[in-house]
Amino acid sequence: MSKITLDLFRYDEAVDEEPRRERIDIDFPETSTVLDALEYAKAEVDGSISFRRSCRSAICGSCSMNINGVTGLACKTPIRTVLREDRSVKVDPMPNFEPMKDMVVHMDPFWDKYARLKPYLQPADRDEDHERERRVSPEDMKKLVAVANCVMCATCYALCPVVSVDPSFAGPAAIAYAYRFIEDTRDGQQPERVANINSDYLWLCAHCYACSYCPKHVDPHDRIIDTKRRTVQLGQTDAAGPRHALVVAKTIKQTGMLAENDVIVGTVGRFNIRGLIKIAPLGLRMAAKGKIPPLIMHPVPKVDEIRTIFETMEVPVA
Amino acid sequence: MAVAITDALPAKRRSKSAEMKRYGFFPGCVAKESCTELFNSTMLLADKLGIELVELTAASCCGASVLNDVNRDVARVLNARTYAQAEALGLDDVITICSTCTGHMRAANKELLEEENRLTDTNAILGKFGASYKGTVSVRHLLWMLIDDIGLDALSKMVVNPLQGLKVAPFYGCHIIRPESVNGWESARNPHSLEDLITALGGEPVDYAGKTRCCGFHVQLEKDGIAANMVGQNMRMAKDNGAEAVLTPCPLCHLALDGYQADSVARWGRTDLPTFHLPQLVALALGVDATKLGLKRHVISPGPVLQAHDLAPMHVA
Repeated sequence: MSKITLDLFRYDEAVDEEPRRERIDIDFPETSTVLDALEYAKAEVDGSISFRRSCRSAICGSCSMNINGVTGLACKTPIRTVLREDRSVKVDPMPNFEPMKDMVVHMDPFWDKYARLKPYLQPADRDEDHERERRVSPEDMKKLVAVANCVMCATCYALCPVVSVDPSFAGPAAIAYAYRFIEDTRDGQQPERVANINSDYLWLCAHCYACSYCPKHVDPHDRIIDTKRRTVQLGQTDAAGPRHALVVAKTIKQTGMLAENDVIVGTVGRFNIRGLIKIAPLGLRMAAKGKIPPLIMHPVPKVDEIRTIFETMEVPVA
Repeated sequence: MAVAITDALPAKRRSKSAEMKRYGFFPGCVAKESCTELFNSTMLLADKLGIELVELTAASCCGASVLNDVNRDVARVLNARTYAQAEALGLDDVITICSTCTGHMRAANKELLEEENRLTDTNAILGKFGASYKGTVSVRHLLWMLIDDIGLDALSKMVVNPLQGLKVAPFYGCHIIRPESVNGWESARNPHSLEDLITALGGEPVDYAGKTRCCGFHVQLEKDGIAANMVGQNMRMAKDNGAEAVLTPCPLCHLALDGYQADSVARWGRTDLPTFHLPQLVALALGVDATKLGLKRHVISPGPVLQAHDLAPMHVA
């Protein structure tokens, strides 16, 4: 047993105008989890402390919360790994959600985005034979296993910096789940599903890998990249994101380098005058300081080797 | 923030390059294009430290985290070609000065060394032009090299122009720390290398939640305002915690932070924090001529804070 202070976010939307902080001192083993400590405080100190929890074993996905500024499952976080120098642990609700009561948040936007991707199989021949077994080869199933581990705890959604500035982004979990159906050989809606997630800003993922903190190792960031590649393969490339990827590939193939000027113009669209005008102020600010990439890129030595690699591997380019 | 127990990290080996003080150097595209001040200040710092950075001039782009979106395998092969060039020069370290290069080159190397048949399959392609990668190269960021090979104690003893308590917000960004399975040099959740470095140079590190968040560079062209908002959010936190300047190990973060603060004023207020490239601030403290560090090439001039702390006259920036 040792002295531990829980530094808690307290708020009840029904009565409080502003959230407040409360420090609760308990005698508790630091080898236990943050969830255990919260349960103890609720049972022994203040029964009004509110948080979601069920399984206590990282299976139900209920107890995701912000612990010392990083979101994760309270039931999977040992106190000793997060104890600060003053022997406190700071607990807040998940960011990117509206708080409801203490660590309980309104999950609606997360579930709405999940529902939008129609998270159920839609076989092409579903009206013909309802009774037939639909088989998947072990090889095809392998691709889906990681996402099948998702417990929808919303840790990735809470950690996502794009969601924090633009809630129209689907977020990592929804894209990973879209991938799970897009790549399921039993499903008959692949192009529609790809178009659907594409319009929910698939390409707005900032490649930040914050979702690599996923407590269930779903690795949403890798599923996002896989899904982007499928949109390119299906030819759904008329948007800034896929144009960007294809023009980057093109300039590397041509010069060995990512040619910044060509990439900017190629992504926005050479004939997209309005788009080019929008980015002009930043370009001018940089140009005023001499920060201009070379207008003509000279290929790196032995660029033929790079072109051989691209051709051998049949890499699509703009 | 400090924690009582940090994650256990793997032991660091001493490389052949470190023994010879001669490293392979992969500047990356941005340091050769829009951020030439980063390339130049890196070379000046290397001179000051008495180490040789051998630029891999025939290297290609690392893939910039974007090439994976069109083909899952090509970046791995391109990077293997780069490692083969370092091996041919007898060098076992490739030093990077960009977080995205670091993360993606390390990811490629990890796949080459750990996944079955990867090296063989890759060498079959490299063999078309007579190259081959044996698997002896490590990709390390300049920041790690400074701390592991030079050492913070040695660096602080070389300081002739201490930062005079300049309040510097470290901005790690993403690809130098995440994913941990690829980088793993320090804890991604509680990194402190930049803070340690700032302290060693005589500055005062500023703690803020935005230091390990994303700058938005990789989605700046995808949708209006996204990168500016991500920059504004992070710089607001830094400014509110007392920062006078920002230090970043990544030129992509630099471009976003330096370029977009002006566009984030409406939502996040004025922040105007000058953003130093890692080698610029180290070189300045070590007494490299400030007029050679390309400080005039920043959108937000570092002149006022440098002058206020008596670190350099206004006209250098």
